[in-house]
Amino acid sequence: MSAGHVSVRGLLAGYGEQTILDLDELDVHPGEFLSVLGPSGCGKTTLLNVIAGFVQPSAGQVVVDGRDVTDTPPYRRNLGLVFQNYALFPHLTVAQNVAYGLKTRKVPKAEQTPRIDEVLNLVGLADYAGRRPGQLSGGQQQRVALARALAYEPSVLLLDEPLSNLDAKLRHQMQTELRQLQRRVGTTMIFVTHDQSEALTMSDRVALLNGGHIEQLGTPQEIYRAPRTTFVADFLGAGNLLPVTIIDAATVRLGDVDLPIATGRPAGSQATVVLRREHLRPLTSPGSPAAPRAVVIFRAFSGSSWQLQVQLLTPDDQPTGPIISIELPDAGATQTPPAEGTQVWLAWDPQAAVVIDA
Amino acid sequence: MTVSAHTRRRLTSLVPLLPGGLFLLGLFIVPLISTFVLSLRPTDPFYDPLPGFSTQQYVTVFTSNYYLQALIYTARMALIVTAICAVLAFPVAWLLIHARSRAVRTLIMLIVVSPLLTSVVVRSFGWRILLSAEGPINSILQTIGLTGAPLNLLSGKLTVIVVVTHVLLPFAVVTLSTSLSKIDPALLRASSSLGASPARTFATVVLPLAIPGLISGAVLVFSLSMGIYVTPLLVGGANQPLAGLRVYDQALRVFNKPGAAALSFTLFAISLTAIALLNAISRRWERRIHGQG
Repeated sequence: MSAGHVSVRGLLAGYGEQTILDLDELDVHPGEFLSVLGPSGCGKTTLLNVIAGFVQPSAGQVVVDGRDVTDTPPYRRNLGLVFQNYALFPHLTVAQNVAYGLKTRKVPKAEQTPRIDEVLNLVGLADYAGRRPGQLSGGQQQRVALARALAYEPSVLLLDEPLSNLDAKLRHQMQTELRQLQRRVGTTMIFVTHDQSEALTMSDRVALLNGGHIEQLGTPQEIYRAPRTTFVADFLGAGNLLPVTIIDAATVRLGDVDLPIATGRPAGSQATVVLRREHLRPLTSPGSPAAPRAVVIFRAFSGSSWQLQVQLLTPDDQPTGPIISIELPDAGATQTPPAEGTQVWLAWDPQAAVVIDA
Repeated sequence: MTVSAHTRRRLTSLVPLLPGGLFLLGLFIVPLISTFVLSLRPTDPFYDPLPGFSTQQYVTVFTSNYYLQALIYTARMALIVTAICAVLAFPVAWLLIHARSRAVRTLIMLIVVSPLLTSVVVRSFGWRILLSAEGPINSILQTIGLTGAPLNLLSGKLTVIVVVTHVLLPFAVVTLSTSLSKIDPALLRASSSLGASPARTFATVVLPLAIPGLISGAVLVFSLSMGIYVTPLLVGGANQPLAGLRVYDQALRVFNKPGAAALSFTLFAISLTAIALLNAISRRWERRIHGQG
């Protein structure tokens, strides 16, 4: 299981004057599922195209399994590619689409047929071999695209937002399927997406890109629980990024409200405190003497959860302090969260507050 | 009540078709029918139409060397022009779609349609000068010693083919580029990622998907070159065995109008058959692509 190692060094790529990608280093381990996550324009698709060979970097190297492929044309790189719009050949049947990569590799006909059957079985489309792409649903087409890219057993599969054209339900189903498939075949997968929950759900590691460079690289838990920059925290939907001044070892000041948060930073310095929406609890009685007080100014039910906004009370008891968002899991009709106008005390697990240098 | 209202609404929706429809009826359908009727008239020895109907004119068209030779010559020329246009149009259409810079695309488009923007007289005189005994082509040929005396380039098969290709190429390029622009660029990248060289991608992806465009371009070029006569007339003179020229001769010099009508209709029928055939192929192919087959 040594095949499938992708290594990128000192990559610079762009169109014309504009630099889109400026990547120091990125190593993708054999058999790993790595998501490249980021907002549109962050360079994630360019990175994929550089690895695939469709965009020539102005500097840097792409090494696949020890072979420098930077100057190798795409059709000699032996990678698999799955596209957002599936890109199936409309004039070929499902089986012919899957056979395409075998034919270009001059695999003998006798070996092609069992291989095609095998990958079509893998994606659950064995009965559709004779159909044309136009006769299939979006999800089926994406499975064919996957089978086509897996048929010749590339050591690395590149996926460019492959699920974003599917509806929400099918997308969730395909996420699970794709992840299970990846574990079974052991192919290294580099998965480009702008959907943070998709990246977290599917990946061994996530590389969050911003402005052409890697903002943070780590396991889903790492980047979710310990964001290193405000961009990461914000992109992963933390909800509350609070610019604070450190008062003492256990207190920070947000606006003119003091919050009991230990930062381990010198008094007087600036920092950003990340408080995830779902880690906050609005209590109707004071939990601890230092618990900040707030007033509920907005409450909405969104199915599995409640969305709340509370406004902190200033030291002179005015409801004019900073606004904080809270998300509460729905616990049934008997336990509705405090209504708008209610005064609450905010509580959170001390470990939930992440401090980022300003 | 509702039925009549429905019918009225449907009829009202057809009103915009009226001006164009009347125009087509008066200036195309009616003359077409009267020409057809004329082609079925027998003639006296001075080619004056006689009353009654006969297949005499068509028998003459298919038995006399004068007509038959013209038909075969014209059809062969049309086929050759169509083939050349298809081959030449492909790279041009490709560039027209895939050129990065907008300025380059505009420039290509301008060059491509330039024959259509030039008056037929100017264009033909250009060719006459180019191909004349004292023209640049002959002087180049003589300078490099390929020929001793100037060649007669103005009449002859090759000249007709070159000048007709020149004026019909834009039709092929424009139809083909429409078809090529519908090919999703992701398909080309998919093919490449699956290990296909550019040549292989062209043969297995681009060419099959361009077939409908190639066919509609071919239909257009073929039918236009079957009937073309002004350009060859102005460049190579009236004595070429082109069907269009012979129709002109019969109708306006010999005054054998029924004979000219029969030859016209035979040309028309050949074009229609070719169009129907190619359309059937194209339709089958489209069905295959769109997955109903």
